[in-house]
Amino acid sequence: MTDSLGKTVVLWLFVAAALITLSAPTIVVLGASFTAGNIITFPPDGLSLKWYGAIAQASDLRQAFVRSLIVATICTVIAIPVGTLAGIALAKYRVRFARSIQVYLLLPFTIPLIGSGIGMMLVFGEMGALGRLWPVGIACCVINLPFMIWAVTASASNLSPDLELAAANCGAPPLQRFLYITLPAVLPGVITGSLLMFILALNEFLVSLLLVDARSVTLPVQIYNSIRSIITPDLAAISVVFIACAGLAIALLDWLVGLDIFLKSK
Amino acid sequence: MRTPRAAYPLTWRVMDGLERVAAALWPARFQRGLPYLMLLPAVVLVGLLVLGLVQIGDTSLRTLDTSTFLMSEDYTLANYRRVLTENFFATVAGRSLMGAVIVTAVTLLFAFPYAYVMVRTSSPALRKVLLVALFLPFFIGQVVRAYGWLIILGNQGMVNEALGLVGVSPMRLLYNYPAVLFGLVQYMLPFAVLMLAPALTAIPAELEAAAASLGAGWVKTFRHVVLPLSRPGLIGAGLVVVTLSLTDFAIPAILGGGTQDFIANAIYDQFFRTSDQGLGATLSLMLVAVGSILVGVVFLLFGAGTLAMAEARK
Amino acid sequence: MSHDKFLSIPIRRRTLLASMAAAGASAGLSPLGAGRAFAQEPEKPAEIIVRAWGGSWVDSLKAGVSDSFTKATGIAVRHDLTEDNEIQPKVWAAVAQNRVPPIHVNWDTTTNATKSALRGVTEDLSDLPNLANTTDLAKPVGLDGYPIVNTYGYVYVLAYRPSAFPDGPPTSWKDLLDPKLKGRIALYNDGIGFHFPAQVAGGGSLDDIPGNMQPAWDFISQIKAQQPLLGEDPDFTTWFQKGEIDAACTISTNAREAKKNGIELAWVVPEEGAKFDTDGLWIPKGLPENELYWAKQYINHALTQEAQQVWLDGLGLPGVVPGLTPPADLVGDPSYPTKDEDFEHLIRISAKVQVENESQWFAKFKEIMQG
Repeated sequence: MTDSLGKTVVLWLFVAAALITLSAPTIVVLGASFTAGNIITFPPDGLSLKWYGAIAQASDLRQAFVRSLIVATICTVIAIPVGTLAGIALAKYRVRFARSIQVYLLLPFTIPLIGSGIGMMLVFGEMGALGRLWPVGIACCVINLPFMIWAVTASASNLSPDLELAAANCGAPPLQRFLYITLPAVLPGVITGSLLMFILALNEFLVSLLLVDARSVTLPVQIYNSIRSIITPDLAAISVVFIACAGLAIALLDWLVGLDIFLKSK
Repeated sequence: MRTPRAAYPLTWRVMDGLERVAAALWPARFQRGLPYLMLLPAVVLVGLLVLGLVQIGDTSLRTLDTSTFLMSEDYTLANYRRVLTENFFATVAGRSLMGAVIVTAVTLLFAFPYAYVMVRTSSPALRKVLLVALFLPFFIGQVVRAYGWLIILGNQGMVNEALGLVGVSPMRLLYNYPAVLFGLVQYMLPFAVLMLAPALTAIPAELEAAAASLGAGWVKTFRHVVLPLSRPGLIGAGLVVVTLSLTDFAIPAILGGGTQDFIANAIYDQFFRTSDQGLGATLSLMLVAVGSILVGVVFLLFGAGTLAMAEARK
Repeated sequence: MSHDKFLSIPIRRRTLLASMAAAGASAGLSPLGAGRAFAQEPEKPAEIIVRAWGGSWVDSLKAGVSDSFTKATGIAVRHDLTEDNEIQPKVWAAVAQNRVPPIHVNWDTTTNATKSALRGVTEDLSDLPNLANTTDLAKPVGLDGYPIVNTYGYVYVLAYRPSAFPDGPPTSWKDLLDPKLKGRIALYNDGIGFHFPAQVAGGGSLDDIPGNMQPAWDFISQIKAQQPLLGEDPDFTTWFQKGEIDAACTISTNAREAKKNGIELAWVVPEEGAKFDTDGLWIPKGLPENELYWAKQYINHALTQEAQQVWLDGLGLPGVVPGLTPPADLVGDPSYPTKDEDFEHLIRISAKVQVENESQWFAKFKEIMQG
């Protein structure tokens, strides 16, 4: 059946407004990165690839990008086992104090990023671990953990418990049940969650700001510091590179799992 | 006929060994404790934050000595007294709370149609386009997006130029409260849609068809059928948006022109400008308290909605 | 002190260094070159890290100080662009936890550096040979010895767009209250540089600082009605360039930067006066001995005339070494004070007073601007 005209018009007005709002900064940054001038403006005055050339040459930006990749990898590698186990536990088992544990595990959301950042700066400082990249990776994992757990529970709650019972009935011991039944079923959630974690860690700047120094600066912090001092189009160029990476990640996610996973009911 | 040895593959042997190890480490008697074991790593990891909170709590009880810039040795509640009595902090807290509520309302207003169209459309291509448009900006940092808006809404930006074509002189669209709220809404939109979509998917389209066949117009159907059934989504989205807007730092700083500080900006100022870590720590703790109470109350009253990580027993 | 160890010849250290400096200066050699001849130096680190403000500030530092330092010693210089106020808690935490600090040299405002000095996290720099060749400006006021070394001064001028002032340049800070300028003026977001002229513009006197600052707060409340934009250094340049503001209380360097990009700007020191302050270099405690030595050499190098000339040409600011020539566009400019008369209209308040009262002034300014 077709929707009434009124409904379509009203809905699409809202959607169009949202679409414009969501895409406008992306387009502006994209356009500004091709400018031939020295200031970030849109529309750009003149078109040139010189700013992409500039960032390709900037070795400190390249090193910062590599460090960001390392941090994101550490974050994802830790998040996958931790988040998967926690997500499965919450979704499939009767846990006492489930609500309190949920509130506790939502702490990374309720504590402001700046609070988490300073707290972890003090804790890692006491441990003498500052100045290395692994504390940054762990910090990014901690503050984004709820996303991972959320993604896994979304998949896990769709798994019928009968499947595991059937497997047990056929004689499968617990570890094999977990590895061959449960894990593959939550795999879409795990993949979604890990891609989310990776991209969020790649872009994390406020907490990293407090945990890095010049020898371990990551790309978002480098960009943020540069933006704080002078805003030149090479920052727009770097942002476009980031957008491209995000686009690749989304395409990857779509190919592996299908973007529709985010629409699955809970 | 295959020999018995070849009928028992290597992988099976390995798995048998692993099962024996697992059974030794975690005998079946402890089966009930298994979920707690699985939750342990996550609990420990988040424990890092708790450790940090303890340190912050300790710092919040010390005051700053401006002749040596060291924190005082003894504990005092002076910082808490300052936060509760000084006008500035009340202004900032009020601004942040009101802003968070307004942003949540507006975001939900725009996220709902977006999620609805995305879920109900029959064209997978359109769904993909809407999803990609949602995620692409989601993954760019707040800072860069805010700077994009500075360019668009600036005095010489596109909006003012478009207005100039109609004869309106350039307006100051930035560096005020509405600009900050707008910035927050555009940042929170993807989060809200992400939380709303699963709830909308769970509403069968036939329900709306049934309502229509009983004579309800689309507005009535929305009001009486779709909205109530999407409550878990609205709660999940509302929770996420309210906590993230309340604690946001970059957008009030960049779009506010220095006059629209939110709580996170005030915390930053105390830690980094006046070097009064005690006051900054106090503000942080109070923000955590307000945020947690908000989340806790909503959980108690409404459940966690689509933000839930535990499955309600079916 | 670490230096006692590397001199194998038992000569009094100060006379030796002083004669080295004299010999070096007269022979045109850098003290580093002469020193290498007969003293064993500590091991050179691969690089030293200097915190600097980004954009034209770090570019000038590179051109004037860092590149020539690397050429003379072979040690690479990495510039950390973390903001001065963000590096401060990191350095303080490192010293408090007995760790190696994240930077070797901090290029900081004198007020911030004074805080670190009062807290005791700075290394003493009194033994730098080139200090003998500096003006009084280099010595921090109100602190013992040289926990920091001031390297140049600057003026918080009233920068303005001439096209917005058809009747001629503004002569007083009160000109900012013109209704035409509503929403078109800018200040630093912590009010820095504005408190003291505001005190005078509000009818008070400088002697009342810090005892009675009410005139300053009254004037600032009037300014608040003008809805000023509040920001940091790069914001001023951007706002001038994008046509968002017509006047600002800012350091002349930022206005000069916008001017270089083609924007028509000028600046004055109004009749009530303008704040004059300094920036400096300091070294955090906790560095290994050899790195401390080379960090000191870096600061020493920054105090040579050649280094100061190139560095400060980029910034357009007066230095602390005699004999510097101002850039062509700044000869006789009020933002480049060199002689005593130039300083008559400039307000200079001791760093100690500023540091002690800063959080109150900050809180009061915020309260007025955000209330």
